[in-house]
Amino acid sequence: MAGVSLSRWTMSYFAAALVALLAAETMMVLGFGFPSAPVEAPATLVLVHVVALGWLSLLLCGALFQFVPVLVARPLHDNHLPFATLCCLLAGLVLLLCGFLQLDGTLEGDWPLLPAAGSLLALGFVLVLYNLGRTLWAGRPLPLPARFFVAGLCGVAAAASLGLIFAFVLTGLATAPPLADLAASGLPLHIVAGVGGWLTLSAMGVSYRLLAMFILAPEDRRWTSIAALWGGIGVLLLAVGGGAGAVLLNADPTPVFVAAALLAVPVLAAYGHDVIRLYAKRKRRKLETNSLMAAPALISLALAAALLLALLALGQMPRFAGAVLYLLAFGWLSGLGLSQLYKIVAFVTWLECYGPLLGRAPTPRVQDLVVESRARKWFYLYFGAVWFGTVALLAEQALVFRGLALLLLLATAGLVVEFVRTRRLADVAIGPQGQDVPHRPRLLCALVAQP
Amino acid sequence: MISRYVDLDVRPILRAGGEPFAAIMEAIGRLAPDEGLRLFANFKPTPLFAVLGARGFGNEAIEMGGGDWQVLFYPTGEADAYAPVDSNSDWPAPVRNVDGRDLDPPEPMVNILAAIEAMPTGEVLAALLGREPVFLFPELAKRGHAWRGGFDADGTTYRLLIRIGGKDAKP
Repeated sequence: MAGVSLSRWTMSYFAAALVALLAAETMMVLGFGFPSAPVEAPATLVLVHVVALGWLSLLLCGALFQFVPVLVARPLHDNHLPFATLCCLLAGLVLLLCGFLQLDGTLEGDWPLLPAAGSLLALGFVLVLYNLGRTLWAGRPLPLPARFFVAGLCGVAAAASLGLIFAFVLTGLATAPPLADLAASGLPLHIVAGVGGWLTLSAMGVSYRLLAMFILAPEDRRWTSIAALWGGIGVLLLAVGGGAGAVLLNADPTPVFVAAALLAVPVLAAYGHDVIRLYAKRKRRKLETNSLMAAPALISLALAAALLLALLALGQMPRFAGAVLYLLAFGWLSGLGLSQLYKIVAFVTWLECYGPLLGRAPTPRVQDLVVESRARKWFYLYFGAVWFGTVALLAEQALVFRGLALLLLLATAGLVVEFVRTRRLADVAIGPQGQDVPHRPRLLCALVAQP
Repeated sequence: MISRYVDLDVRPILRAGGEPFAAIMEAIGRLAPDEGLRLFANFKPTPLFAVLGARGFGNEAIEMGGGDWQVLFYPTGEADAYAPVDSNSDWPAPVRNVDGRDLDPPEPMVNILAAIEAMPTGEVLAALLGREPVFLFPELAKRGHAWRGGFDADGTTYRLLIRIGGKDAKP
């Protein structure tokens, strides 16, 4: 019953993540990387890793440093370590991008950038695993959403290990045949472990608790939720473990991936059933923007699954894999991330500024820190741009896609302005009593008393 | 040796949405040195085990079916001298109740902090919540209040007791 304090560095993670998202969208507008460049081009690798590591992973890490302690009702194991972790991850990311540009000669010099980048990123993720792992360990027995995080953390460990192997093989520092085989055919494993394991399983865990909490839905433990957890772990084990086994035995891993995709269908159905039930059983009838805008993100996940199955059935999967990944990354993961950020930034800022004043002075409500009507327009524009962008990718219209990416960039920039305004208390009406706060929040870190 | 067990059935209090903690502590306080308490509740009163353990009571919990529990508390003669003062003292019955089960966060915290600011030192507030109020605890500690709490056996209701502290550190 020690209680939980605010995570000191979560806002820094969010800020770095949003900068990465804006950078990635700017690249898409300028035609840097896929779909203007081929999938395997170094420019595409840059774009993909700015999205997956810079935006989604930093967002998720920042959120988990705040959210895991709340879930297990224990303080974060170390509230200082996330800053050093962020430095490792950011330095690793920058080196990684430079390493990719080195591959096609955009950057000259023969420094071993990729192995250095891989090592820094691996160190960063080890620190994340250590800090969250110790926190989760202290909080056993774990509630269901926390079990999704454990599975997600296993996913990031697998994705980072594979990335490290790629980096060492690509630069000729590792030559052992099994590692070379993994580097040659292991890209789908890296993607499934990262996007499916780390990002999607963690996002499912977040949604089980955050949705239920903010729409006042019952959090009863249902067999469908347990099936979604273990089924998700099964899909991950089959795709990554089975896929790696096939690669190492020089067999074709495609049947394993198809089997994993088919197994993912009932898993997503169980999860979808739970989410629909949460919305249907909620006590809060009028939805706030964060819960309302989680819906198009969840719909994007369902659409991406349907698209994947349709493409597999039509034998068109490798050709249009980019469209599926785009819908997953921007519709599902980014959409859910942005919609929950909208609430988390307001909630955390409110708690930091007004928590000490509660009961002693008039304080605004959390809702008073945001202007919902303004943010909703940006969310509509965002999801519209993502969905039409996916259609443009399926129609192979790169120029149309770039135009839609500009709308995406505009919508994201609009939301970032809203987040900064929230953090700055710019929309809080100053009442007749002045409603002064003991301290104005800092944009990038929370001022919290350390235990 | 335990000569006899005094029966206390708190199920009617719980069913009425009340907080039985004060009644239990009162019964414990009236026990003779060779007496134990036989408690009947409609959930396993886990938080109580630690509180009474610190006062030198062992326990034996038996599930009676239908969600009901019978727990025998008996003196072991090993009161924990290092237990916080709060768990060794009887708290008075709550004078205020807050039901935050149907409120979304952070409304329960807002209501509880608003309520306790108006209460004098030593009084107790009882709250029913849907979750463990992890962000409330640091604020209670800062303001010098003491608290006890725990989930019901079915995990849906968190029962919290807050006793207003005397060393309220106003900024």
